[in-house]
Amino acid sequence: MSSPLAVDLDPYADNTGITTADRKDAGGFNIWGNTYPADQLPAAGPVRVDDIPFRFPPAAPGRPDNVRCAGQLIEVPAGRYDWIQLLAAAERRTEDPLWLHYADGGVDPEWLRVSDFWPETAAHFGETAAYRCTHLHYPRHVDRKFGPSIWRQRVPVPRDAALRAVRLPDNPAIHIFAMTLVPAAGQEHR
Amino acid sequence: MRTVVDGVRSWRHDLGGCLHSCFATLLDFHGLPALPILGAAWTFRHRPDGVRREEYYYPCPPETSLLRALAPHHEVASTWHEPAGAEAGWAEVRASVAAGIPVAVAVDNYHLPFRPAYHDVHSNHLVVVHGFDDEAGTVRVLDAVPPAFHGDITLAELTASRDSGNEVVHDRDMFFTGVRIDNRWLSVELPAPDAVPALDRAEVARVLDLNLRHFAEPATGDGGYTGLAGMREFFDDTVKRLSAGEDIRDELFVAAGAVLVGTAVHADWLAEAARTAGLPSLAERAREVERIAHHWSAVRIMAALTSTGLSAPRLAGRFDALLNDQERALLALDRERAQL
Repeated sequence: MSSPLAVDLDPYADNTGITTADRKDAGGFNIWGNTYPADQLPAAGPVRVDDIPFRFPPAAPGRPDNVRCAGQLIEVPAGRYDWIQLLAAAERRTEDPLWLHYADGGVDPEWLRVSDFWPETAAHFGETAAYRCTHLHYPRHVDRKFGPSIWRQRVPVPRDAALRAVRLPDNPAIHIFAMTLVPAAGQEHR
Repeated sequence: MRTVVDGVRSWRHDLGGCLHSCFATLLDFHGLPALPILGAAWTFRHRPDGVRREEYYYPCPPETSLLRALAPHHEVASTWHEPAGAEAGWAEVRASVAAGIPVAVAVDNYHLPFRPAYHDVHSNHLVVVHGFDDEAGTVRVLDAVPPAFHGDITLAELTASRDSGNEVVHDRDMFFTGVRIDNRWLSVELPAPDAVPALDRAEVARVLDLNLRHFAEPATGDGGYTGLAGMREFFDDTVKRLSAGEDIRDELFVAAGAVLVGTAVHADWLAEAARTAGLPSLAERAREVERIAHHWSAVRIMAALTSTGLSAPRLAGRFDALLNDQERALLALDRERAQL
């Protein structure tokens, strides 16, 4: 089996969800301006969550680090994959189909389900907690009583055919920090 | 005098807020099952001129109390008490707690040290009070909304939060600000526990029938939008208003939050009824209703983003998808009812 492929989401990132304590107002993951504390999340680059490799986004003041779902079409290296693995979180739990575009022209919807990022809230859709922070940034203060989560969720790629793109749902409650494609057994992405 | 009323437990729904948490705690205290009562009704009501900037806003038909609006299929009610001032406000709450009856009180989070909004932003919230210590000058408070808190604060802090003007001071005082707290507090009027129907097939049939009748009501009534037809009209009108450049953000955000929790708690009611009544297919209907709640999660955020340019066509797309799923879910529930 070939290696999982981390998709570069940087060109699609449009929301700043991670801030440093000295620039807490330089982002706004949710509509209230809350953000994840950078010192409790990985630095930019390769990370492993549940033994799945992801590319964690860079965090810098005002720099977008996640994709707020708005129907973006994300081109991926054509290949046969079993799973789309995601690091994601939502503003209140929610779900929507994303559209899988195959190289042969086939298009299928598959459910993307993401739990709430809000502290003291459990995963609702069976995700695992990729990261649980112990505090939460507000634009003007840090609350150390509780912290938000980023979830690892997965979406199946049922067709035994090459995938070439993924259309995200138009649901701005869903944020995606990282995406990794897990190849089908014995398949190379090409 | 010092007293703490026992048997006050936390209840939280992750798609809900302080309103359902407080009422559930009070129901539970009185020996009543929270979910079977709070989750039975599934409704859509919206009055544009009736939306209040409160975390605990819920649309109420005329002459209908807040708890009755949440749970119209049960013989429950609540009363908002509006004391003359802070002193009377505490005297009334203290008297109830001293008599062994916990109550819900409206507060401004700005003055509550356990809330993240403490000395930052104003927000109109609801907590349960079930104890006090006159000598120490403290009150026992339960707040199930994260960060969950169950402990003592000073009476001065509680009084400040209850007597607050809840002012809009800066741009982070959003949605639930600008309405005076006015020391208001809620008491509940409840049936005896043995008067609450068991969650069996007969109760499922009764509740489904009432909900389906509601959604079949005419679109307008009570000066607002009602039922499935009302939902359709509300969506059409909201998209038109947004297209015309009208500011719909706060109204839609607050209204969507209320429908979101009502729908989500009803989905849980259906799932619970499926288990207790042995109806596996009802669990599937529960999941369909839960899906509609997840639409409302999206609507709520879309509403908030209209002020930064989220377009009318995007909102219309969400409304279309929601309505399609709503119609399918109601048809499936109708078939379910026919088989009971």
